[in-house]
Amino acid sequence: MVGAFLYLTACSFKNRQRRRLQRLREPRYVIGLVIGLLYFYFAFFRRGGRRSASFEVPAVAAFATLMQFFGSLFLMAAAVIAWVWPSGRPPLPFTRSEVQFLFTAPVTRRQLVHYMLWRSQVAILFGSAIATLFMRPGSLAGGWTFLVGLWVVLMTLRLHLMGVALRRLSVASHGTRGVARQWLPLAVVLGAIGTLAATAIRAWPALTTLADGSAVVAELQRLAGQGAAGAVLWPFLALVRLPAAASPAAFWSALPAALALLAANYVWVLRSDAAFEEASAEHAERQASTRTAPRAAVKGAAPTPFTLAPDGPPETAILWKNLILVGRYLSLRTLLRLLPLVIVFGVLARNSGTGGIAAFIAAMSLPLAAMAVLLGPQMMRNDLRQDLARLPMLKTWPVKGAALIRGEVLAPTVVATAAAWLLLLVAALFGAGLRPGSREAIALGANRASLFAAASVLAPAVILSQVVVQNGLAVLFPAWVAVGASRARGIDAMGQRLLMLAGILFTLLVSVVPGVVVAAAFAFLAYQLTGMVLILLPAVIVAVVVAGECWLAVEGLGRVLDRTDPSAVESAE
Amino acid sequence: MIDVQHLTKTYGSFKAVDDFSFRVDPGEVVGLIGPNGAGKTSTLRCIVGIQSPSAGAITVGGHDIVKAPVEAKRLLAFMADEPQLFDYLTVMEHLRLTARLYRVRDVDARARNLLAELQLSGKEHALPAELSRGMKQKVAIACGLLHEPRALLFDEPLTGLDPLGIRHMKETIVARGRGGAAVIVSSHLLHLVEEICTRIVIIDHGRKVADATLAELKTHPELAAAGSSLEQIFLTATAGEP
Repeated sequence: MVGAFLYLTACSFKNRQRRRLQRLREPRYVIGLVIGLLYFYFAFFRRGGRRSASFEVPAVAAFATLMQFFGSLFLMAAAVIAWVWPSGRPPLPFTRSEVQFLFTAPVTRRQLVHYMLWRSQVAILFGSAIATLFMRPGSLAGGWTFLVGLWVVLMTLRLHLMGVALRRLSVASHGTRGVARQWLPLAVVLGAIGTLAATAIRAWPALTTLADGSAVVAELQRLAGQGAAGAVLWPFLALVRLPAAASPAAFWSALPAALALLAANYVWVLRSDAAFEEASAEHAERQASTRTAPRAAVKGAAPTPFTLAPDGPPETAILWKNLILVGRYLSLRTLLRLLPLVIVFGVLARNSGTGGIAAFIAAMSLPLAAMAVLLGPQMMRNDLRQDLARLPMLKTWPVKGAALIRGEVLAPTVVATAAAWLLLLVAALFGAGLRPGSREAIALGANRASLFAAASVLAPAVILSQVVVQNGLAVLFPAWVAVGASRARGIDAMGQRLLMLAGILFTLLVSVVPGVVVAAAFAFLAYQLTGMVLILLPAVIVAVVVAGECWLAVEGLGRVLDRTDPSAVESAE
Repeated sequence: MIDVQHLTKTYGSFKAVDDFSFRVDPGEVVGLIGPNGAGKTSTLRCIVGIQSPSAGAITVGGHDIVKAPVEAKRLLAFMADEPQLFDYLTVMEHLRLTARLYRVRDVDARARNLLAELQLSGKEHALPAELSRGMKQKVAIACGLLHEPRALLFDEPLTGLDPLGIRHMKETIVARGRGGAAVIVSSHLLHLVEEICTRIVIIDHGRKVADATLAELKTHPELAAAGSSLEQIFLTATAGEP
């Protein structure tokens, strides 16, 4: 049976690579490959070359202790999160084809687990190699301890997460009996969390008196290396020591413990009696049915944003449809994903020298508003990029291409604009408390109201132009754009994305130039005639010019869409 | 109602449909049959405006699908073999969206009747993920029928339906034909075509090989010898069997 699994894994890998090579017949993939390879060259080798000239000691060795500490904390956090916050994926995420072929074949559950482990090797080895290139620039040969060490860590983590998911499945399927059956791992996890929490509580008063961040980290390292907390963190530290080994001797001395942990997790997974087949089959079906649909699963039918009247332009209907998409996919988890960004901006804002909560909030809102304007259109995909996968259906609608695109670009523009306006309003309201002399205070100073009005007028125009560019690319080069949930992989696809990003930024700049030129001429004339520095009116001029350009672009794109053959929209890899 | 004249559709150097002409009058239910790769789906996709013809002309209710697509599509409904629903819209929201796009005013009353006709009552607020494949197919058909189209195209309409659903679907198709709509049914289920279609068009290698009622096909000088069933006639016409 191992032979069959190896054959399946090897053939899948070989054919995937062959398909990637075959698509290099198309110039866009060749260009993408060149860009991707150049990116790798400059990101890894060039930088590595410069670094190796200036540093005698490899980068890893210099930070070995810190890496070990934070690495072990990361692994610990990953293990705890797997227990308390499951990902929603089944323990063994088989594809629909695998379910169809393997679940019906005379294959034991243990063999299925082995197959999944075989299959994961391609990704783990590739990930380890890329990380080695990144961490140890130069050559793989020089970083073999890191490569092998990272493989052991990732493999152990994979096995552990698989084991946790299997245990969770067992608990879920057996109810209270399941808790009784899994009492040992549950007790170990709860005991570990309790031990770390108790250590942190005991050490808290001392930690708060330390002078700076580096002293806090040093104290935490000391605590993590002794007593009960040290015992809890030991397995994670033992694993991390392997890739962080500064020399082959350190590597060999760390290897036995790491391999023992790998073996323990392997046995733990194999001893599981959880019935994973049903969960895997359900997941495979869900994945297959949402392949061309949005990325997450809809949880339930939330209220619609507004009532759709039977009469009116089709654009409103498409806006309504796409706003529903936002409402039904936006969850607490999505918002929590933004939390790290908020914290980073908060820390940056606090360290920038502005004082007080109001100034803190204002300083935090401004970069977030800029993010909503510049990154919102990249992140919000509730438009043609999402719907292009259903182009055959859209083309049966009695709607002209231009109207369809107008409707599609509205939703991301509305959502990103609403976010930008809200953040600008917060900045305007709390900006009153800015400390005199701070950067924000100078920027907002006497013309704060005009500046916020101008920013509020410019924001939707800049957002709209980006959304139009994104949708225009989807219409003009459908095979270059990730459609629905599909996402091509490979160095060539990565190069394509880099090229697209550069194209989008360039087009955005070009689209703003005419408006800026007209507005600058108007502002100059006004200054010459009245001596006043106008802010709001030039912003309105820029916005109107950009909106006009967008209108013309959409009309042109609509004609292209009317002629577009759905077969031009490449199917997902 | 549907007039296809000298339709040719090519993909690169491959000619999927080659100088194909036929028409469907109001009240007719035409069965479009042919082997795999014969050009049926390409023909249907050209008629409904998903793809542009490489040559030839298609009119629906007198409107050219290329020159006046919006007017033509307003009269059309296409029920694809694989229902394409929006994962994040409920059944009723699909119907409301369709109503707005096709300018249907009394959406609530029509939706209620259609959902009852297609045994979807009670599923108004269900998302596609909560529906079986057959139910999704019915939702797509309900959306197609909502604006009371004068030209209907069904591509394998019975896929995924249970026996009761199959019976209701046949009744729905026949009722639309009797109600004056021009209907095209593309299917490999020859007994379905034999049962509900008033005329049969056979296509093979992109070219029309027969266009007649079943009775006429049975007396066709070249096909009559094949036997009395549509299956035997089909195999002879498409050279699947000598």
